[in-house]
Amino acid sequence: MIIVIDGLNRHRYTRLLDEMFALRARVFGQRLGWDVDIIDGKEVDQFDALDPAYVIGLNDTGHVVSCVRALQTTGPHMLSDVFHDILDGEPPLRSATLWESTRFCVDTDILERGNTRNSVSYATCELMAASLEYAKNSGISDIITVIDPVMNRVLKRSDCAPYDYVGSTKLMGKVSAMAALLDCSDARIGKIRAFAGIEGNIFVSDQRAYELSDEHTPTTAAPKVEAVSADAHVRQLLEEYCVDQITDADTLEDMRAAKRLTEMLVEAGMVDKKHASGTHG
Amino acid sequence: MSVIDLSNLPYPGNNLRSFLDSVCEENELDFAAYAGMDPIAQTVHGFVNYPDEWQTRYVNEGFQHRDPALLLASRSIAPVDWQRLRGETTFRDIFRAASDHGISEQGLTVPVRGPYGDVGLFSVTRNCSDREWGLLKTKILGGLQTAAVHLHDNVIQSHSLTRKLTHPSLSARELEILQWIAAGKSQQDVGDILSISNRTVEVHLRSGRSKLGALTTPQAVGRAIGLGLVHPS
Repeated sequence: MIIVIDGLNRHRYTRLLDEMFALRARVFGQRLGWDVDIIDGKEVDQFDALDPAYVIGLNDTGHVVSCVRALQTTGPHMLSDVFHDILDGEPPLRSATLWESTRFCVDTDILERGNTRNSVSYATCELMAASLEYAKNSGISDIITVIDPVMNRVLKRSDCAPYDYVGSTKLMGKVSAMAALLDCSDARIGKIRAFAGIEGNIFVSDQRAYELSDEHTPTTAAPKVEAVSADAHVRQLLEEYCVDQITDADTLEDMRAAKRLTEMLVEAGMVDKKHASGTHG
Repeated sequence: MSVIDLSNLPYPGNNLRSFLDSVCEENELDFAAYAGMDPIAQTVHGFVNYPDEWQTRYVNEGFQHRDPALLLASRSIAPVDWQRLRGETTFRDIFRAASDHGISEQGLTVPVRGPYGDVGLFSVTRNCSDREWGLLKTKILGGLQTAAVHLHDNVIQSHSLTRKLTHPSLSARELEILQWIAAGKSQQDVGDILSISNRTVEVHLRSGRSKLGALTTPQAVGRAIGLGLVHPS
């Protein structure tokens, strides 16, 4: 299951983003030994401040098992600013229909071997298919992705071999990195899906996206509003106020707002419905 | 933030408003709008082909300060379908006003990020059902991305300081491919000569065109020759 988090919705998914940055710290900091900054167990760099899009894979319990980050190549991105070694000093590709994908990783600690739905292989293919589908649905034709030789072999084995490379393979930390080109075509997406046996929509529904957000706390029930026993005079003033707000509303919008307020006060037991509902009552 | 109507200003070699008209014409769209922020020149450029009364009302009511199609879309890397903004109160306010001028709430904004923190927002709209809109979007999105970046680059480079800073830097591969195209070779020929796939030639050509601010390959070859990057044969 895949969720896309970008600059528009990231404020609702701090839990998922924190899990993702922690996964990146384990993979790029520890396993691959890249020179990355890790603070509080999270790997975050300057490109995370540029509102990239994150395509994130989740397991059935809603925890992050894979992730990748996408940026436009028309503006600042890793190959233009950080990875120039890989490009042998050449300027990077720049195109409206080319995105850069970086920090592709899967959680090999949680996931199993083999090719079940909980395997490294399935999670890798699902994330790859999702990132290609997300790009394709955004009008993008190609992706340039910075990967290590292990990932390169995984791509080849999953019937998703890059159609070419740019620059050359360079040592980074314990392993090397290279820039590979992938087309966001139906043919490629179809091949990865067929290889891993992925069927149907892999992106979360709106309902599931809400359940995964920070504001959704299913275990604690909403606090019950205690009835406030205002004295008779205050109650009368409030009821008059509600009636005035409804009768004096200039626009439909104001009218609705006034009615909402009245309903809230009725629910809280602060005013009487029959006295406060205005001209219609 | 003030809106400068570039289409009313002298603009050498370019008529941006007619560019918007041609994008609408080609892509079955009703209206298009562009807003661009250039941090080097410290300016905001905007031009649209919306009805004049709506333009005036939009600016008079200061909608550019709270229009989520501008404020939120700049935080996305993908085109933002306005369907995603329908929950925003400001979106409903602006589009209630826009509907008085025959402007539909069916639309999208393509965000463009440039190399110097410059941001462009290219919005298009079309009055049609959700289903029709979905089909149209799939068909035109790639072309709109290219049009948006082309438009943005042209606006940003119209400022002389920015132009000086953005001298196109092409890779050896991009130049090699353009050099063979200038010599009259087809894309397929170039792939064969360089022993690379047609797709690799294509991705480098797209990049070369983008860096040279050109929409077509012949235009890109012309500009590369003009800059002395490629030799005429």
